[in-house]
Amino acid sequence: MLPFTPEVFFAQFEDYNLAIWPAQIIAYALGLLALALAFRPTDSSGRIIGAILASLWLWNGVVYHWLTFATINFAAPLFAALFLVEALLLAWRLVIRGGVAFSFRNDGAGRAGAALMVLAIVIYPLFGALAGHGWPQAAMFGVAPGPTVIFTLGMLLLAEKRVPYGLIVIPLLWSLIGASAVWLLDAPEDVTLLLAGALALVLIARKNRHLS
Amino acid sequence: MSETKGFISALTRRTVLNGIATAGAVAATARLAPGLALAQPSSLLTRAIPATGERIPVVGMGSWITLNVGASKKLRDARVKVLQSFFDHGGGMVDSSPMYGSSEEVIGYCLERIANDQKLFSATKVWTVAQAMGIRQMKTSEKLWGEERFDLLQIHNLLDWEAHMETLKEWKAQKRVRYIGMTTSHGRRHNDLEAVIKSQPLDFVQFTYNILDREAEKRLLPLAADKGLAVIINRPFRRGQLFDLFKRHPLPEWAGEFDCANWSQFFLKFIVSHPAVTCAIPATSRVDHMDENMGALTGRLPDARTRQRMIAHVESL
Repeated sequence: MLPFTPEVFFAQFEDYNLAIWPAQIIAYALGLLALALAFRPTDSSGRIIGAILASLWLWNGVVYHWLTFATINFAAPLFAALFLVEALLLAWRLVIRGGVAFSFRNDGAGRAGAALMVLAIVIYPLFGALAGHGWPQAAMFGVAPGPTVIFTLGMLLLAEKRVPYGLIVIPLLWSLIGASAVWLLDAPEDVTLLLAGALALVLIARKNRHLS
Repeated sequence: MSETKGFISALTRRTVLNGIATAGAVAATARLAPGLALAQPSSLLTRAIPATGERIPVVGMGSWITLNVGASKKLRDARVKVLQSFFDHGGGMVDSSPMYGSSEEVIGYCLERIANDQKLFSATKVWTVAQAMGIRQMKTSEKLWGEERFDLLQIHNLLDWEAHMETLKEWKAQKRVRYIGMTTSHGRRHNDLEAVIKSQPLDFVQFTYNILDREAEKRLLPLAADKGLAVIINRPFRRGQLFDLFKRHPLPEWAGEFDCANWSQFFLKFIVSHPAVTCAIPATSRVDHMDENMGALTGRLPDARTRQRMIAHVESL
């Protein structure tokens, strides 16, 4: 049982979105830049995409979970820690260590990855709006955990080489935790988290097996 | 006149409570009988805290979920009205915990905006590990509530209770807190709580008890009475499940014999009519529900035979 009601959860999201405005614009710009770099890769695009993903996870861990959600949910500091760990993993593996390139290929993993990113940026917030959680209560890409996780899984499907499993553990875990909102918070849009997690796990496992 | 009759009747019938409790509970009845003040016209039902004899209203207010509304001014202002209604009806104990998110901060917000909170009996908990962390948390709670000292500090769900017990005993000796207690809300740690009750100098104990979850009748309630502890009852509506189960059924006509007008009063009067219970703490976010709950603070209480009838009735539905 959650320690707050859906009414309180979405009221907090409304306050959060209004308080951080226009961070959503910056997050969308970063997301679109990452998407563009995946379709038109450059020598440094892997590191830039890694930096974008890490910064979005860092924002979600600190600003959303730690500073906002923790005021109504005693479990949120744990969620903040998970998101910070993922931010560090992304920064270390993709930015500092480097060597992971992302590019769109017209195969199953590529199409699924692109579809998940479109889902995260466009469809997820629209789905939420149809369910009654439109702006300013909407969970927007980059500043809310759900769409950020879906986008990350989509981008990892575009990795040219094997996807490091260490990078998908926390996103997959969140796809399970976040999907509980479908039942606990009457947020049907979060069913996409579960589907994205399952799809990404299957395709990444198949891709890694094929590349090994 | 009928209230007076009910008063006498309840006192005498309390000696035959073995139908609803063990022999220990009957002993508790004798101990607590003088502390029970049944309703006189326009009077409130109160119970004495055994440690001091101080009387508190038998219906208090919990804050799990219902007061955890974050920073939303709209929702906070709505809760001000709920708490205002609570005090308007003669309520006293407000119970919270650092575990309940923003509830303590919201209570502080409400208290700042309420004029008639003189009868507030402030009760919160410490819910963390390590003594130093507990001290820090309790000081934070004082600031959030805007209280210089709490009436009651409890150790939440027995978490690291050995460490916090030292602090609570010290604070009580320094008159920094008036009463100290221990809680569980799981219904699974009754054995642990029982051991603590037997070994520690508590004033209050808090656990779950309602018309369907009556495990506490066997050991905890009699033990608390025997040790002279005040008893706070949480989850009186089983987190709302009792309404889901029974609200489609009409209230039995005989509920009027002990002044119940709705199911919430039926459930609450079942609890507070147990002689070892000091106070039940239902939580609500709605003024109309608060009005219903606080109706249990007046009128007659069911006697032992009627309590059995209440159990049989709900179990037959």
